[in-house]
Amino acid sequence: MSIEKSMKQFEQDRLEAVRIASRLLLASGTTTPRVGGVGECTIHIIDDPCAIEDLCLGMESMSRENKAWDFFKRDAAMLRDADAVLVVTSLRCVNDPADINCNMCGKMTCESLRETERLPDDADVAFKGPLCIFRANNISYAIDGIISQARNLGIDYGVFWSVGAAAMRMKILPHATGFALAVAVSITEKSPFRDIPLKYGEINEHTMNDRIIKRLWPQFRSIYS
Amino acid sequence: MAIRDMNDLVQSGLDRSIELMTVAAHNSFRFNNKNTVKIVSLGKEEIASIGEFCYSLADMSPLAARDGRFVMELIKEPCGLLLLGDKRKSDFNYNCGACGYKTCAELNKAEVVESLTAWGPSCQFKNININIATNAAASMAWKLGLHCRVFSTLGMGAFALKMIEDVDLIVSVSVSAAKSDPYFDRHKYWTKEHWDETFQKEFPTFTRGFIGAVEDEGTFKI
Repeated sequence: MSIEKSMKQFEQDRLEAVRIASRLLLASGTTTPRVGGVGECTIHIIDDPCAIEDLCLGMESMSRENKAWDFFKRDAAMLRDADAVLVVTSLRCVNDPADINCNMCGKMTCESLRETERLPDDADVAFKGPLCIFRANNISYAIDGIISQARNLGIDYGVFWSVGAAAMRMKILPHATGFALAVAVSITEKSPFRDIPLKYGEINEHTMNDRIIKRLWPQFRSIYS
Repeated sequence: MAIRDMNDLVQSGLDRSIELMTVAAHNSFRFNNKNTVKIVSLGKEEIASIGEFCYSLADMSPLAARDGRFVMELIKEPCGLLLLGDKRKSDFNYNCGACGYKTCAELNKAEVVESLTAWGPSCQFKNININIATNAAASMAWKLGLHCRVFSTLGMGAFALKMIEDVDLIVSVSVSAAKSDPYFDRHKYWTKEHWDETFQKEFPTFTRGFIGAVEDEGTFKI
């Protein structure tokens, strides 16, 4: 087997590992506890590079909508290096409060939460709260179930609320979704989610390659041809 | 080498396990690297007082009463309860809107609503951080072979009894080293009379012939 062929085989196997691992992560996230014991979270695997790029563009677009979301650009730069993303939703936190009058939302009864006007559908609003926090908390368990399995499998992961918010805005999640978070995973030799330099949204592997290598190459070719 | 009794070993292992669960929870993922979750572990005496409090809420919450009654059985064998709590206000500056306020500053300025169960309104990401830590503790318990269940009711009981100082929200993780799993399939609590009475009351349509039949003897008839 030539070196080139074996390298291509490695890349194919790596992507197959991503496909299998992300489904095992989904299994772990799905079977974690749910307060209230009612099914409400769904987990959606996005492992197509074009679909991941769409998410990155959505996040970059959102970063311009709210000053507090400037870090979405950094998150998008990290997500571009992810092999797959698992988006976890809460389907009951908007329309189906838990009816336990827990007051976490600041309403003494779930009935008054139902009657409360939600935030408007403005560009600078990511989640149209107030949500039933007791319900939305179930996402935590699913997220940690995914993290726990990723650690067992030795897979690098990053947790992002920006990805969940962008996926909701792009309407690629179930229509009842009121809150969503995401775990990006990578099966590479260096985690793209750790040791992130400052200004990563502007200076990252892609922009560095584009600004330096790709600019240098035509000069080299012109001069030495 | 001295011979150690099984009960001593089990209790000692349980105590160590609760410490390891705490480490797992303490070191779990946090949004924005904000590690503000407070964790305490309770002994049987404190667990019993939470159980009694929950049982006293029977008129308001059948669920709390169920768990309160269950706790009195649970403490007959080796067990522990981990409490995880945090403040309700946001220190994230995400301005995400999930709490119902457009900005974290607005949430933090909003008037506090006090109740027995939790103080609100609270930041969604504060809650997410607490519950990720909770799942990490439960996950460690699972790996260590302990019986385990996450209880919101006991957490709320602990909140009312102020078992952790200076927090607005509490979740609890109960673990047990009982001879059989005490947390699930708790059929032994159901006597025939109790089952018949409760089931008839909660699910009247299950045994009704058709939906137009008697709704409630003596009060409503078609």
